[in-house]
Amino acid sequence: MATPEEPVGRLVGEALTAEEMLALPVFEGTSKALLEKNIGAVVRRVFPPGEIICREGEFGSTAFYILEGAAEVFLATPLAHLKGKPRRSGLFGRMASFLQSWARRAPEGEADPGGGGTIPVDGPVDLPLDNPIADLGERDLFGEMTCINFYPRSATVRAKTRVVALEMLRNMLDVLKRGSKAFKEQLDTNYRERALSTHLKSLPLFRGLTPEFVEKLRERVELVSFEPGKVICGQGDPADKLFLIRMGFVKVSQASPGGDVTLQYLHRGDYFGEMGLLGSGVRTATCTALDHVEVVQIGREEFEEMMREFPAMRAGMEQKAREHAASNALRMESLAALPVDEFLEQGLMGAQSLLLIDLERCTRCDACVHACAATHEGVTRLVRDGLRYDKYLVPTSCRSCMDPLCMIGCPVGSIRRKEDLEIVIEDWCIGCGLCAKNCPYGNINMHILGEAEGGGEEKKAKPKQKAITCDLCAGQASGPSCVYACPHDAALRVDPREFFLEERGR
Amino acid sequence: MILDRSQRGWALSTLAAFLVATVSYAITAAGEPDGPRGGSAPGLLFGGAAYAIVLFAALLGVRRRLAGWQVGRAAGWLRAHVWLGLLSYPLILFHAGFRFGGPLAFTLLVLFTLVWASGVAGMLIQHFLPRILTESVDQETVYEQIDQVCAQLRREAETLVGGAGGKTAAVPRAKTAGAIQGRVVESRSAVEEPAADRAPLERFLADTMAAFFASKGVRSSPLWEHHRRAALFAGLRQRVVPALHPVTRDLEALCSQREQLEIQRRIHLWMHGWLFVHVPLAYALVALGAVHAVAALSY
Repeated sequence: MATPEEPVGRLVGEALTAEEMLALPVFEGTSKALLEKNIGAVVRRVFPPGEIICREGEFGSTAFYILEGAAEVFLATPLAHLKGKPRRSGLFGRMASFLQSWARRAPEGEADPGGGGTIPVDGPVDLPLDNPIADLGERDLFGEMTCINFYPRSATVRAKTRVVALEMLRNMLDVLKRGSKAFKEQLDTNYRERALSTHLKSLPLFRGLTPEFVEKLRERVELVSFEPGKVICGQGDPADKLFLIRMGFVKVSQASPGGDVTLQYLHRGDYFGEMGLLGSGVRTATCTALDHVEVVQIGREEFEEMMREFPAMRAGMEQKAREHAASNALRMESLAALPVDEFLEQGLMGAQSLLLIDLERCTRCDACVHACAATHEGVTRLVRDGLRYDKYLVPTSCRSCMDPLCMIGCPVGSIRRKEDLEIVIEDWCIGCGLCAKNCPYGNINMHILGEAEGGGEEKKAKPKQKAITCDLCAGQASGPSCVYACPHDAALRVDPREFFLEERGR
Repeated sequence: MILDRSQRGWALSTLAAFLVATVSYAITAAGEPDGPRGGSAPGLLFGGAAYAIVLFAALLGVRRRLAGWQVGRAAGWLRAHVWLGLLSYPLILFHAGFRFGGPLAFTLLVLFTLVWASGVAGMLIQHFLPRILTESVDQETVYEQIDQVCAQLRREAETLVGGAGGKTAAVPRAKTAGAIQGRVVESRSAVEEPAADRAPLERFLADTMAAFFASKGVRSSPLWEHHRRAALFAGLRQRVVPALHPVTRDLEALCSQREQLEIQRRIHLWMHGWLFVHVPLAYALVALGAVHAVAALSY
C-alpha cells in the first residue's frame, strides 16, 4: 500500500494497490493488469461527519464512489431571484412593485421551473426544487459528469456520517464501467430504482404515468451510452425509440441546403425522438452526442402502450410535437430566405431577438441601461457598447441565438430556452460561469451575490455568484424595458433576418 | 429625437391646436376694446392650459427617473413633451395678451422664453448631433468609461515602448467589413530591441504622448491636430531603427483612438449640456408659475 494521505498524481488520499482494489466488490471482474497500469488513478478517502466532499461550481476531474457511510447532496448557493424584479423603495415604489409583480405573475399552471420540480445534478438522484437536498449512501457514484466531461460540480456533497469513498480519475472510471460488470449493473440498478421515476415525473408530459406503469418501464427500458460526436439517431432513419437523457448534452439538428442547422440542445432530464414515433415513423432531425451521453431508451412497443393507456399524455405529446415542428419549419424557412453576406459572420443571423440601437437617433442617454437595471434589481443586463452594423449598434445583450452555445454544459440545467425565444437562467444556477464562458458574444455576466463560506481543504472565502442574461423582460406585458424606456425610439428588438431584409429593400 | 415622418401626427395636431387657439384669441381680442387680459375667462383658459402643459412637461424628468415604471412608452412621453411644449409658448402669449405685465409676470415671460428656446435648441441638437457623432467617431465607447479607456491606452503605449519581457499590448483599431464597423483590439507583441534604440520612443512618450492621454488639456497637445501629429510621427520614425517602425504606427493608432474619444466627449457634452440650462429654468418656471397663479387668483 502506498503511504497514507500522500498525494498520488493529481489525487490526495490513500492510494490502492491492484490487490486492494480487487478485494473490493466494485472492482470485481476487472483485469489485474489493467488495474496495475492505473495505480494512482483511484484513492481511498475518509471524510469525517460534516466535511465537504465536493463543492458546487468547482471544476474537478474526479468521481466519488461511496464505500461506507452516508452523505447529503445539496445546493449551497441560495435559489436567489435574479429574474425581472424591480427594486423600489418608499410607499409609491412598494405599491408599484406590488402592482407590477401582480401584473407579471405567471398564469396558473405556467409556473414551470424547467425541471418540473426537480434540479438535475451529477448523481444518482435529482434534487427537489422546493428543498434541494437529497441523501447518498453506500454504492452511490457521484461526480460522473465532472469526471468524464470536465464540467463543473453540479452540487455540494457533505458527509453526514463518517464516509469512506473512492475518488477516481476518468481512466479508472472507464476501467470500471467497461471492465466491471458488477459496477455497471450497480449504476444501472441505482438509476432504475432511484432516478428513472423522478426523471419521468419531472417532465410535465409524463406526470400522468401510474406507479405501476413506471414499474413496468423500469424493467423494460435500456440504458445506453454514446461517445462524443456519435449520432444517436439520424434524420430520415426509422423511428423506433424514445430517448430520455440521463447524462450529457445532445445536439438536435436538421439538414438544410446551407448545411446543418442546430435546432436545440438537450440535457439531462430532456427527452427526444417522440416526433418520429408519433408522426411518419421517420426521424425528423439528427440527434448527436456532444459529450459523453447516457440515455434511457424506451422502445416503440412500450411507447405505444404508454400512448394507448394514457390518452391525455398522447394528446399533450402530440401538441408539443406539432409546436416543435411548426417552430422548426419557421426557422428553416427564414434561413432559406437569408442573404449570405458579412453580417452572418457576426452571428447576427443566428440571433432570434436582437437588440439594436439606431445610432442616428440615440442620444446616448442610457435610459435603456437604467431601465434594464431598474427592472432587474439594480443589475443591468445590457451594456451599450459593441460592434456596429450599418447605422445600428449591436450592444452587449442576449440575442437569444438559434444555436445557444451557452446552454451546453450547465451542470444543473439551469440555463434553458423557453418555448418562445428567451433564454432564461433559473434560480438554481450555481454560479460556475460555464455559460458565460461559452457565450460567443460575452452577453452573459456573472453577478456577485455576496461572500460564501470557504470549502474543502482551503478555507478561503469565495464569492457567491449567479449568471445573468437578458430574458427579454419575460412576463412584462409592455415588452423589453430597454425598448420601452427609450425616449428616442432608438432601441429596437428585432428578428435580424426580417429586419435587415426589410432595410435592404428600402 | 429625430424630427421625421413619424412625428407627422403630433405635428399636425399641434398645428391644429395652435390654429384653434389663434382664432379663439383673435375673436376674444376683437371683443375687448382694451385688449385681452390674463384675468379674463379666455385669458385664464390660455394661462391654465399653458401651465398644465408646463407641469406635464416637467413630469418627463420624473418619468426618466422611474425608468422601470410601466407608465407609457418613454418615446410617447418625449413626443408629447416636445410638441405640447412648442404649443405652450403661443398659449402663454395669448394669456398675457402680448403684454409684459408686472415684475413677476415679466420675469415669468422671460423665464418661459428661455425654457422654450433652450428646449427648441435641445431638440435641434438632439436631431443632428447623434448622426454627427456616429459619423465622426467610429471607435466610440461608453461615455463614462472614456477616462478609463484613456488610461488603458496609455498603459498599452508604455507596454509597446517598454518592449521588455515579451509583453503583449492591445492596440485598438476601427475596422470595417462591409456594413460592419467597430472597435477591434489587435494584440501586438512588444518588439525586442536594445534599450538604446528605444530611447527616442521613450522620450516621445514621456514628453509628447503622456499629456495627450490625460483627461484634460488634450486640445493643447501638438498631437491633437492631424497634420502635426502625422509630422511628429514621421519625425519619430526617422529617429528610430526600422525594426521599431511598426511600434510607431501602433502608437499613432493609440493617439488616433484618443482623439476619437475626445471628439466623443465634446459632442456628448453638447448633446446633453443644454439640459443644464433647460431643466433648472424649467423647475424655476414651475415654481414661479405656481406663485403667479396663486397670487393672481387671490387678488
